[in-house]
Amino acid sequence: MANHDLVVTAPPHIKGKDMVSTGMRDVAIALFPLVVMSLVFFRLYALVNIVAAVATAMACEYVVRKLMGREPTLGDFSAVVTGLLLALVLPPTVPFWWVMIGVIIAVALVKELMGGLGVNLFNPALFGFVSLIIISRLFGPIKLGYSLGGINGVTSATPLTFIKGGALNGLRPGYWNLFLAHSGGALGEVSVIAVLLGAAYLLYKGHITWHIPTSIIATVFILSAILGANPLFMILAGGVMLGSFFMATDWVTSPDTRLAQVIYGVLIGVLIVVIRLYAAPTGAVAYSILIGNALTPLLNRLLVRKKFGEVKAVA
Amino acid sequence: MELKTFRGGIHPPYQKEATAHKATEDLSLPAEVVIPMQQHVGAPNSPTVNVGDRVDAGQKIGSSEAFISAPVHASVSGTVKAIEGRPNFTGAQVQSVVIQVDPSQPPGWAEKRDTGSLGAEQIRDAAKEAGIVGLGGAAFPTFVKLSPPAGKPIDTVIINGCECEPFLTCDHRLMLERTEDLVSGLKLMMVAVGADKGIIGVEANKMDAADAVTAKLSGESSVEVVPLEVKYPEGAEKMLIDAVTGRRVPPGKLPSEVGVLVQNVQTAVALYDAASTGKPVIERVITVTGQGIKEPKNLLVKVGTPIGHVISQCGGFAGTPGKVIMGGPMTGWAQKDLSAAVVKGTSGILVLSKDEVDYGAERQCVGCDKCIDVCPVFLMPNFIVKHTKRGQYGKANVYGAQDCFECGCCAYVCPSRISHVAYVRKAKAEIAAAEKK
Repeated sequence: MANHDLVVTAPPHIKGKDMVSTGMRDVAIALFPLVVMSLVFFRLYALVNIVAAVATAMACEYVVRKLMGREPTLGDFSAVVTGLLLALVLPPTVPFWWVMIGVIIAVALVKELMGGLGVNLFNPALFGFVSLIIISRLFGPIKLGYSLGGINGVTSATPLTFIKGGALNGLRPGYWNLFLAHSGGALGEVSVIAVLLGAAYLLYKGHITWHIPTSIIATVFILSAILGANPLFMILAGGVMLGSFFMATDWVTSPDTRLAQVIYGVLIGVLIVVIRLYAAPTGAVAYSILIGNALTPLLNRLLVRKKFGEVKAVA
Repeated sequence: MELKTFRGGIHPPYQKEATAHKATEDLSLPAEVVIPMQQHVGAPNSPTVNVGDRVDAGQKIGSSEAFISAPVHASVSGTVKAIEGRPNFTGAQVQSVVIQVDPSQPPGWAEKRDTGSLGAEQIRDAAKEAGIVGLGGAAFPTFVKLSPPAGKPIDTVIINGCECEPFLTCDHRLMLERTEDLVSGLKLMMVAVGADKGIIGVEANKMDAADAVTAKLSGESSVEVVPLEVKYPEGAEKMLIDAVTGRRVPPGKLPSEVGVLVQNVQTAVALYDAASTGKPVIERVITVTGQGIKEPKNLLVKVGTPIGHVISQCGGFAGTPGKVIMGGPMTGWAQKDLSAAVVKGTSGILVLSKDEVDYGAERQCVGCDKCIDVCPVFLMPNFIVKHTKRGQYGKANVYGAQDCFECGCCAYVCPSRISHVAYVRKAKAEIAAAEKK
């Protein structure tokens, strides 16, 4: 029999359907309800920022990889996801070039210069977001929009302002508004139900598990109650839902064992409450998750999984 | 009914339809057979014949003084043409006896004798003389497993009828076609190790086989059939024991630690053959299948038959083959050509088409944790890979390199197409080399 050009590689010789690209694509799909809601509420403001963010992320990833002599990876959708997430954590009033700066920091600095997707220590979108907050504070004249409380009635202040401001409590949006739809704060804050719809899709697809989001949300709820804050408001307002399901669960920057994930979630939950109540409400979720990211390698090292059939050595 | 199973694992497409309902056929004899002196885990045999010798089917042609070893026999009658190194299915050069096959072969084996009165020692001797090894693929000498260490009593013998590897159907066919002999083989094993319980674990996609075995057990309480969830690797020794008995074999330990012996379906049938007629392991049932094969079949094949002959007797390739695999798709060995021979541990020959083996390039791990979720022995495959890549084999072992039995679930689910098994093998080899120093 003639010799054929046979492929010889280690087993297994069949592989599952999931690729990095399908995972990232599913995250983009899961964000769809939220994107639609933000377009409904903020129209052109949202559209401009989302398009600017996604286009910049893709262009930036392509150019940086080209300059570094790496293969293009646009097909893996990770640039799309980073762009979408960053646009969603910013308020609609942020000028689009600000969004672009944030995206460039996220993609070029946090992801590609760190070695590319998989090696990055921090969630790129959140790091880009926090960078923008810091830059805006350093350069006073340029405002991010949070403290402006909105322009031309398009948006109102993030509901998070109400966490501290007792005097304004009469204006606070109701739970059902927060849950279903309201026009406060960032694009991604418009509707909790839209976040949950996307999260359900990711859970169904097996790309994320309940461990991290549940432990964050439960911790925020319980600790808020203990500290005298309104627990329901704390989990519904601001970025807790979006952060818990879409950012803290980031494959790359979250811990890898279930136990570590629960500890990570609790830790982020505690940080969110403490930062919100005793420091600044804006960006509390982002700061908390980034601190969690920084602790991920340590958690992975300390919490090695117990092997099948392993019993504690008798001392 | 909730089916018993283990934690972790995967559900690959099973693709057994092509052969599951095809009765086993005898394969025609090749012109020559190549019989490696080592087809098992343990010490290699030395040839006991010389070039030019006439040999008869069933005649012992290689043996060893070592305890952990299994003799090999001529699978056909013929003339010894050469004794030389030949690449086996792993590509390693192994001393092999090449036999020119006679056109006329002896008719068969001795009359069956009743095996009911055989004692433990006689059964072990029969297994040893017949060169029986784990025919599921592990190829560990069976008589060694039938000699449990002192102080570790075995109460349960489990027959692995899971056949959890996709594509393969040879065990399924044996359970249907040699049901009674399978049960007899199990009973011999129970006598050999002094177990009072026998269990045949069958995945629920082979309920016809489970029913066939159950029908043969009417009125017996010592042997039972346990249907199991269809999940890979249900048939892995530790997983099967966990699923059936709820006992977990600790890392680095053998099943005897928890009082269990596990044997494959075909091994049990071979033991019955050896004990009843003295027939050694000179042939076995394999499944020849895959998109790249014209006529998928279950075949009774003589040990030493070259893959090329088997494939040509199945209508040859359908289209251009991408991979020819000795064994199943999850743990089998990809062949670089068709020269390797079927050995005792060969469960199948699988031919995948060109586009089935285009997996996409390996990329950086993205930390999705899917490998950790599916690992049936609870290891952290992504970390084994990470540290092996850096040459940190000790750290790779912290995450379980040496506890990995290479089922391949991690690599199957990996969205980055990382070949964890290849890294694990590297880590194991490096750790072993370091220990030798």
